[in-house]
Amino acid sequence: MLLKIENLHVRYGGIEALSGISIDVPEGETVLLVGANGAGKSSTINAVIGLVPAAGGRIVFDGADLGSVPCERRARLGIGYSPEGRRVFPTLSVTDNVLSGAFGLGRVNQKEALDWLFSVFPLLVDRAKQPAGQLSGGQQQIVAISRAMASFPRLLLLDEPFLGLAPVWIKQISDAILALRARGTTVLMTEQMARPALKLATRGYVMRGGEVRRSGTVEEIRDLALADEYL
Amino acid sequence: MEQFLQAGIIGISLGAQYALLALGFTLIFGILGVVNFSHGGFYMLGGYVAYACVDRLGVPYPVAVLAAVGTTAALGWVFELLLIERLVDDHLATLMLTLGLYLVMSTAMLEVFGPLAMDFRFPITGALRFGPVYAPLENLVVLGICLTAIMGLWLVLFRTDIGRALRALADDRAVAMAQGLRPKLLFPAAFALATGLAGLTGALVTPILSLSPGVADPVLATSFLTVILGGLGSLGGAALAAFIVGIVEAYSSVYFGGSIGALILFVLVLLLLVFRPTGLLGREVRGA
Repeated sequence: MLLKIENLHVRYGGIEALSGISIDVPEGETVLLVGANGAGKSSTINAVIGLVPAAGGRIVFDGADLGSVPCERRARLGIGYSPEGRRVFPTLSVTDNVLSGAFGLGRVNQKEALDWLFSVFPLLVDRAKQPAGQLSGGQQQIVAISRAMASFPRLLLLDEPFLGLAPVWIKQISDAILALRARGTTVLMTEQMARPALKLATRGYVMRGGEVRRSGTVEEIRDLALADEYL
Repeated sequence: MEQFLQAGIIGISLGAQYALLALGFTLIFGILGVVNFSHGGFYMLGGYVAYACVDRLGVPYPVAVLAAVGTTAALGWVFELLLIERLVDDHLATLMLTLGLYLVMSTAMLEVFGPLAMDFRFPITGALRFGPVYAPLENLVVLGICLTAIMGLWLVLFRTDIGRALRALADDRAVAMAQGLRPKLLFPAAFALATGLAGLTGALVTPILSLSPGVADPVLATSFLTVILGGLGSLGGAALAAFIVGIVEAYSSVYFGGSIGALILFVLVLLLLVFRPTGLLGREVRGA
């Protein structure tokens, strides 16, 4: 198991966002967290990367408890992160945004990452020198996901990668996720747009109100994941 | 006409000096969100370190300048790591800390060197003549070094991994950390870079202007004015504003007398704040 979340609690002040959820992410698989706004999907992702503290429970990555590991070291352990709402570095160029995800990896590895990402996302070549803040929403999402992929992480966290995107961007991002998975990356992603995400996932968790309501293979959860009450 | 050209040369030289100071000041604000009230103190300290090296230790002036840069950068690094780092998001605390450091530095220099101006002179004298216009060599040398340092800073910020990381941290610290960028390593580096630049400017400029414990006050005021004019946190804005300030100061002192320059600048800044609160090239500052 590459990532194991056990009885995780997250609180914002007095509000409990996650009420003791447990999630397993096997190596090489793509695990989908699906649910409506407020289900706790983003809180789960943010707790794994270390942007919000766990109020209880354990997060174990590759056998190591991440409890006392600061956010910036989690990334260096091999966890890539693409946040909800893109959050590109607006004043940095597209290339600099991507390379900031490969900090300290050396010129050779950075060039390999850039070459690979340029081939996966041709948009990056066309906009290489443009400040990322000037791009459209879909283009920014490509940049944010490229940044998360630039270190060829062992675990890629994608928070709502398809939210508000046109089908053309969804297709490109889906292809890139499949390409990265072929290189051995495990993926944990959240998505409200369950339909395209279910095409990528191997297993999933249906969440509501900070709890896991159901889990299983994609086939086992498909009907529930597409039910109106969870979308 | 000669007077006009002469003032222009002085203004550009002044602008380059102010640019070095303002870039350091705005770098710290842009990346750490800290208004560094000790910035003028590092300028003053750079001057005193260079003076002590030349006058007390007898080392050549270029080595003294390097010593000043090294000392101020090292002190900035330690100060950030030990004090600022713990309270970096507490604006009032960092304001008091940097103000306190400035008072410690100026009092220490007062105790060690006394209140009078030091006899510290630039080692190169003379002037170059371009037709009817004379350009003091010391100003040209300082201009050259300042422009080289500005270019060096630009290369660090825009052509290295560390520079890219610093700019990313300035844009969105949380997401930058989630990409593996380490503020605990990079914030002290940014602080050291900025205080080193202030030390360099002090070592270069105090032999031309003056070196006493009081020189830090106008430097801080000018840096503040410059970065507000350029837009807090904007590197390009700081550089542009620095040259505007330098040129306005030079021309106003030639044509209107010394004190009018400061008045013109303050009026300019006030007008700008009314019509464009973000400064010349600034953007909206993120919430505290």
